[in-house]
Amino acid sequence: MENVQSQSAQTRYDKGNLIARSSNQRSGAMKSDEPNPMADELAHLMMQVANNRCKRSFASLFSHFAPKINSFGVQRLSQQGLAMDLVQETMARVWTKAHLYNADKAAVSTWVFTIMRNQCFDMLRKVQHNREDAFGDDIWPLFESDDAENNEEDFLLSANLLQHVEDLPPLQRQVVQGIYMQELTQQELADKLNIPIGTVKSRLRLGLEKLKSFMEKHYD
Amino acid sequence: MINYHPDQHLLSLHAKGELPLSMSIAISAHAELCSHCRQQLNQMTIALSEQEFEQQQTVAEQFDDAGLSGLLDQFMSSTLDNLDTEPTPQPQVVDNTVTIKGEQYALPRVFRKQINASWQGIGKVSRLRLDTGEPQARASLLHIAANGEIPEHTHKGAELTLLLAGEFSDCYNTYKPGDFMLLDQAHQHSPKTTEGCLCYTIVDAPLYFTKGFSKLLNPIGDLLY
Ligand SMILES: [Zn+2]
Repeated sequence: MENVQSQSAQTRYDKGNLIARSSNQRSGAMKSDEPNPMADELAHLMMQVANNRCKRSFASLFSHFAPKINSFGVQRLSQQGLAMDLVQETMARVWTKAHLYNADKAAVSTWVFTIMRNQCFDMLRKVQHNREDAFGDDIWPLFESDDAENNEEDFLLSANLLQHVEDLPPLQRQVVQGIYMQELTQQELADKLNIPIGTVKSRLRLGLEKLKSFMEKHYD
Repeated sequence: MINYHPDQHLLSLHAKGELPLSMSIAISAHAELCSHCRQQLNQMTIALSEQEFEQQQTVAEQFDDAGLSGLLDQFMSSTLDNLDTEPTPQPQVVDNTVTIKGEQYALPRVFRKQINASWQGIGKVSRLRLDTGEPQARASLLHIAANGEIPEHTHKGAELTLLLAGEFSDCYNTYKPGDFMLLDQAHQHSPKTTEGCLCYTIVDAPLYFTKGFSKLLNPIGDLLY
């Protein structure tokens, strides 16, 4: 992980560098099957955020996406203040859901677009109908790792699940037990085990996937 | 085999997130049942994301103008750390099935927070209203028991019927689960079913639920409506 603290506030964000570079490399409309250096760079930054909670990489993603989300928001929501809310909510989700991003399923741009669109839908409901509901993510599935979040929900429906916790490999078991049985936050668990929070998230995901496969065998 | 699909225009409005909730539910549920439309929506979403996020843009100055620098500073100094210490949201128990007249149906995922009312009905026809908060459209689940029918009717506006389970026929055709039928007010029909069926319907919505938000927000559009 890059050492963010040691850098000055002026240099650590790399504002606009990614955009300037990628605009030089590419021009005009793009086709998805062409080699795409910008997409590769975005994917690299996402990995850094997901696995290492790298804030500097997040700042580069922010610099790339925020102005575009802002102009989408201005068009769609017709109010500058709401467009900023859309940037804030979308980028917060990029950070918290980074571990669910799956490069095999979608480009980073597509994944961020779906998060933004879904969030914008919920905000429009509020503006138009004064409804504080959040249906966007139910309407449009996000391109994520085996729909991991939904699986997390499904798991807890069944007390049977916890019988299988003992069958997990020790590192995954430790994390699943910490989160679901001792009810620690991911950060508390990371501190306790002295591992990065990204590792907590990935062990948790692997553990839940494995539990799901135990369950499926069980019901076959 | 699904024979009736939303048209390209509706699919594209859906990919953009521009349709009202009642219609978004219908397209999402259809796409869960129809791999063809699911594929098309994926392609449209990829194209839209490239258009929005990978186009050339000179944004270095706009970045500061729009107040994005301040927002980024805030993210770096506190928001990200705060997000990481927020507790994992407590998972919710969601029962995504409905039971009517002894039949249990598993619903497409999009319905999981939408079923909050109870069934009302007479005879073989039962209806469960969805509270979409849209005064212009009435969205419901409609159940017709075996050998039931809906009396012949015309619509004031358009009528959307998405067949979720079972089968039904009208004077035009026989329909299968996943079939997506949008009829305008000129059509008259009286659906009948032999084995029973469950549908999602939206009714009485002239010009409403097939239009994008941009048109709905237009005040002149409101006057015409
Ligand atoms: Zn279709």
